[in-house]
Amino acid sequence: MKLLIKGGHVVDPANGIDQIADIVIDGQKIIGVDLGLSDQTISGGAEIFDATGLVVCPGLIDMHVHLREPGLEAKEEIRTGSEAAAAGGFTAVACMPNTKPIVDNSIMVSGILERARREAAVHIHVIGALTKEQAGKELAEIGDMVQNGAVALSDDGHFVEDARVFQTGLSYASMFDIPVISHAEEESLAGEGCMHEGLVSTILGVKGRPAVAEEIAVARDILLAEYAKARLHIAHVSAAGAVELIRQAKRRGVKVTAEATPHHLSLTDEAVYGFNTATKVNPPLRSADHVRSLIDGLKDGTIDAIACDHAPHAPEEKDVEYRIAANGFTGLETSLGVILTALYHSKELTLNQIVQLMSVSPAAILGVTGGSLAPGATADITVFDPDKEWIVDSKHFYSKGKSTPFDGKTLKGKAVATVVAGQFVMKNGEVL
Amino acid sequence: MMNAGATPKTNHLLGLRETDVSRITDILDTAREMKNIINRDIKKLPTLRGRAIVTLFFEPSTRTRTSFELAGKYLGADVVNITAAASSVVKGESLRDTLLTVEAMGVDAIVMRHSAEGAAHFASQLVKPVIINAGDGAHEHPTQGLLDLFTIRERKQNLSGLKVAILGDILHSRVARSNIWGLQKFGAEVHVAGPTTLMPVDIEKMGVIVHHRVEDAITDADVINVLRIQKERQEKGLFPTAREYARIFGVNAKRLALAKPDAMIMHPGPMNRGLEISHDVAYSNQSSIQEQVQNGVAIRMATLFLTLTGGKTLETIN
Ligand SMILES: [Zn+2]
Ligand SMILES: [Zn+2]
Repeated sequence: MKLLIKGGHVVDPANGIDQIADIVIDGQKIIGVDLGLSDQTISGGAEIFDATGLVVCPGLIDMHVHLREPGLEAKEEIRTGSEAAAAGGFTAVACMPNTKPIVDNSIMVSGILERARREAAVHIHVIGALTKEQAGKELAEIGDMVQNGAVALSDDGHFVEDARVFQTGLSYASMFDIPVISHAEEESLAGEGCMHEGLVSTILGVKGRPAVAEEIAVARDILLAEYAKARLHIAHVSAAGAVELIRQAKRRGVKVTAEATPHHLSLTDEAVYGFNTATKVNPPLRSADHVRSLIDGLKDGTIDAIACDHAPHAPEEKDVEYRIAANGFTGLETSLGVILTALYHSKELTLNQIVQLMSVSPAAILGVTGGSLAPGATADITVFDPDKEWIVDSKHFYSKGKSTPFDGKTLKGKAVATVVAGQFVMKNGEVL
Repeated sequence: MMNAGATPKTNHLLGLRETDVSRITDILDTAREMKNIINRDIKKLPTLRGRAIVTLFFEPSTRTRTSFELAGKYLGADVVNITAAASSVVKGESLRDTLLTVEAMGVDAIVMRHSAEGAAHFASQLVKPVIINAGDGAHEHPTQGLLDLFTIRERKQNLSGLKVAILGDILHSRVARSNIWGLQKFGAEVHVAGPTTLMPVDIEKMGVIVHHRVEDAITDADVINVLRIQKERQEKGLFPTAREYARIFGVNAKRLALAKPDAMIMHPGPMNRGLEISHDVAYSNQSSIQEQVQNGVAIRMATLFLTLTGGKTLETIN
């Protein structure tokens, strides 16, 4: 069965394509990308998708999501999370290991991959824990997990406080050439803080998490990665000083990569006025100068990827007073729209840069397929309308998580179709 | 950058930051009339007869709760006190469930004290009764701010141009925040002083002048508002010893001499005499601490009256 995606604006940074073109798919593979390919290659029977006026790019990959299964299915399941991904234009996601139990052994890795094969709408990659039970004390069975499919390691949700343990983990992981993903925040400084420490926390009287708590942790982790000659990936960078530390480390050749989230790139701590718990997230929404530094970091390549840190929660964990509300919110269905609204329509980034950040880089960092429309590649493709205006309504999310600071906001840009291995999994906003 | 949602205008009293000058002036002016009523032999008015007010306190505060209770009763309302256990708050169910239960009982106003910042905002979005914030964590305590404004205005006539020093634990003080907003709205110049460890970051961006020598804040001040120091701050290592605090930051007669001769001394209570304030200063004739207590009832009468009747003047009610 052939599929022709016709007349779209193809953005494929890996192959230097940024023009109107057709894409021909046969089975699970891309056959070719060119103008007028349709006439010669298609001989009857092809499904045609008219992409006129739309952007067609290699499938978006979110390298940082929480799917909550097993153990926390009230928040999300692999099926619902993958449908949220498909709806948001993602063809693959990598899920963090802080489920119940924690993904710290190969049986858990295999179990999630097996369930994903049966139920998931998109490709699921598994990130294993760096330490047993994410307790930060002993290394998890890293090699065994990698051999069973884990693509990265992380104790996300916690900073690995013991520097010796983290350095050992980095060193051990380097044998398998996979990245260690750091949730970098010095807990003794961030402690009980509920938001960014700054003018807004002072006005609201809310305990703050200072940016320096992140900056110290990033500095330490970079030094340890440099020492261990290992690959380090900094999750959800939110502080200006962290961006600068990563920039300097890259200059001197440290194998460090980094991601930023759509919310840290588009919102400030002023969103916390009024105490809407949908603004509570870790690391917290920071002040405008930090946001500016993050955007500059995206532009100059200091920050490699955009990942949403999709963190769905049950309503009762968010519908409480601010101090005790859970950190995080659902993100897969707003990620592309927020990025296009905040960074493309404001002329901060080009479409080519956005596809690099949301597809090419995450694939490269995780070492997974994707990020390219080259002939022979798996046909993971995202089609989006960069100009479509829509109002975020969390009631209609596929994700079980309904909390988002973007609820009710108008976004400009939305995924129209998601193709995974040659099959539509989402078309016109409907997950199939 | 994308903008944040705006807070809707309501009849609630959640904080002085979002309360405009005209509404504050209404409350202050009404409180003057209320104070006359308190000083009568027969205090009871029928103004709020048939209205039900619940004081919902998740933190103990006999002073504030009693003040609201008397205020409601003087105006003829039915007032019920609910003291909720703070321990169940941790589970995250208590506040929501308690508010819904109280609402279901048909009350008109909930006066709420809670240890979490934003608890009153949460309530205002959840239930229909008018919410009056009687202190939410370290955020605001608007009726304390109003009674302080009222007390200053009584002694000094005008707030504009006054130098007001707020001393002590600014970091954890909801009284300080409500005072800062209220005073600045009326043109007072606010100085704050206290240990750096009890001073919130970026506080100067709220428009105040920050000092770390208490003498600098007090010099030529018209008003000195001394905050309560909780000794647990010392246990948490935010200052070394109570003795050192008293020596470096405490307000005593010698420091008071730096202020204007007619400077007034305020304290939201309860005081730690000998720590943040010396005994002689607390009971000097410059002290307005007892007036603050009486004015607190008048301010709470005015607040309940205006929020529950939607701002009709007292005359039309009488
Ligand atoms: Zn994290
Ligand atoms: Zn995360």
